[in-house]
Amino acid sequence: MEPAPLNISAYVVLSAILFAMGALGVLIRRNAILVFMSVELMLNAANLALIAFARFYNQMDGQILVFFVMTVAAAEVAVGLALIVVIFRTRRSINIDELSRLKD
Amino acid sequence: MIINGETIAFAVFAIMAIVGGVGVAALRNLFHAALSLLVALFGVAGLFVLLAAPFLAMVQILVYMGAIAILIIFVIMLTQRVAGMREQYNRQWILSGLVALVVFGVLLMVISQLGTPENAMWNPSAVAATLPDDAGVAALGADLVDANRYVLPFEVAGLLMTVALIGAIAVARED
Amino acid sequence: MFAPVPEGGASEQLFLGGMVRHDTLAQIFRSMILLAAAITCLISADVPRVGRRGDYYAIIIAATLGMCLMSAASDLIMVLIALETTSISLYLLVGFLRGDAKSAEAGVKYFLFGAFSSAVLLYGLSLLYGFAGQTNIYGLSGALAAAGLEPGHVLLVLVMVLVGFGFKVSAVPFHFWTPDVYEGAPTPITAFISVGSKAASFALLLRFFLAVFPTYEEYWVVVIAVLATFTMTLGNLLALVQRNIKRMLAYSSIAQAGYALIGVAAVAADNSLGSGAVVFYMFMYTLTNLAAFTIVILVERVTGGDQIADLAGLHQRAPRLALAMFLALLSLGGIPPLAGFAGKLFLFSAAVDAGLVWLAMVGVINALVSLYYYLVVAKVMYVDQPAHADKAIAVSRPYVYSLVVTVVGMVLLGTIFIGPWLNWSTSAASGLF
Repeated sequence: MEPAPLNISAYVVLSAILFAMGALGVLIRRNAILVFMSVELMLNAANLALIAFARFYNQMDGQILVFFVMTVAAAEVAVGLALIVVIFRTRRSINIDELSRLKD
Repeated sequence: MIINGETIAFAVFAIMAIVGGVGVAALRNLFHAALSLLVALFGVAGLFVLLAAPFLAMVQILVYMGAIAILIIFVIMLTQRVAGMREQYNRQWILSGLVALVVFGVLLMVISQLGTPENAMWNPSAVAATLPDDAGVAALGADLVDANRYVLPFEVAGLLMTVALIGAIAVARED
Repeated sequence: MFAPVPEGGASEQLFLGGMVRHDTLAQIFRSMILLAAAITCLISADVPRVGRRGDYYAIIIAATLGMCLMSAASDLIMVLIALETTSISLYLLVGFLRGDAKSAEAGVKYFLFGAFSSAVLLYGLSLLYGFAGQTNIYGLSGALAAAGLEPGHVLLVLVMVLVGFGFKVSAVPFHFWTPDVYEGAPTPITAFISVGSKAASFALLLRFFLAVFPTYEEYWVVVIAVLATFTMTLGNLLALVQRNIKRMLAYSSIAQAGYALIGVAAVAADNSLGSGAVVFYMFMYTLTNLAAFTIVILVERVTGGDQIADLAGLHQRAPRLALAMFLALLSLGGIPPLAGFAGKLFLFSAAVDAGLVWLAMVGVINALVSLYYYLVVAKVMYVDQPAHADKAIAVSRPYVYSLVVTVVGMVLLGTIFIGPWLNWSTSAASGLF
């Protein structure tokens, strides 16, 4: 294989951009599904950084970690969406700032 | 920077990831936001290929795009009336934007310092040109079931998936 | 679980490819977590809509496994998997009451906050891997030192990791989920989150910070001391105005996490005393909070309400329950001779030893403030007139066992077992290095 022509930090900077956009999404969104999608974007940012580092160090460890992150994300999405569906059934809304029943 | 196939591929996938990311964070239509999540996920999968992780790129496409994103779209369809799919931003959206900008600034500062010549952590010449011989799907698979490597997290992850499935059904089932 | 800890250095105690470490700290926290899980199952027995469902207990077992692994995890991969196994099982358990809007909302809130904080934690871990090039916790500090990083880089990682752990121990400013989740979740699960998940997270926090960031202690001691101050103060002040007993206990548990953070901050100067105090405190907190929640469940079943006012006249209706609750409240408030007093004493003296006298002072003032709201509950139980004095409070056998174990443990831990237990805790701490 030829030497990698790209600086690894290009990948890491890209992952930082994705992470910041995910964080922005979590902060400005009100819909629970959109908040969750933004979290997925943050997880992808972390995965991208991990794989870039794994390539840099020429190791498997980073890739293994990403493998487990994907497993966990799959479990998380099943659970999270089940809860969102349940809440929609009782409240007919999944906007997080309308989840105010607990406040009073 | 040398312009070659790899650079161009990086640029294309990076733009896909960023455009998709902006869509997830900012598009007002829920369904469009979900579709742009798919674009972002595909961009990241492409970058995985460039980083010599083809297996994970496959998993990314199968699990993230094939399962997670599709499940999200299902739930959007289940929970949103088509007319009511427009999303209002949070009232403090300016503040939120500033926070995200600060987060990005700090990350960028730290990362860019690492690439400088004095602190040459991640410069191109340092990247090992070849991957070790045992790299690849077979090595990854062997590591996952090796008692001296990752068998414990592997088993626990399996249990976690089972519990998540049982639990999701138990919670969401209507009786 | 009680197998003798092998002698020797860190590498000899690592098992299964360095994924977990077998040491006294893990042993103590595991016994704490298993006790908490057992009592959670006992006090679930008569709770409607959860007590007779097999899947509920299966998920509790998965959460318990996750917590046990958290207390022993010694690799970033294991940290991630253990943390998520715990969290995902708990999201499910919080939202488990079918058809109950409050429970589902609490579940969604816990899930969204949890997913966000673990994403931040994961990004921190990925940077850590990027800086160090390896994933074993016990190799990271050496690798970080060899990489020649500036403190700012490590500090960034530290803050991101702290967001993840701060969420789990409900430290201010990552505490927003706590009152809503505590109120909405099935009450046994509230008890389980407040003790099991918190104990496991403190075990992980201690191990992670001592193993990965030992050379950056001057930074994180300040960060954690500030975190402890805000956590204690805000928790106690907001607990003062609560009328719902579960929300009150939620804010109280935030404050208690703040006290335990004092011990974490004190670890820097005198490692064994500080972390020994944290271990002791978490054990006493486990026993005490489980006792308090057992009584909350019993009263909730009869009155159908979870307001503090529902405890009115508990003394006339069930004097022994009132006494148990009274002891638990005194222990939480830190009155001798109960375990809470010894726990706080060790924490504050560890802080003074570490030169954090101001932090110990803040802790003492906070402990005094907290006495007010604990004693208000005691006053309601003993002085106020009950609304339904005629309705007896039935205490079935599982609840009797739970109360006997927790109350006796609480009293013994504060009196004759202080010495041996503190020795064990301190040896756990010294085994960390």
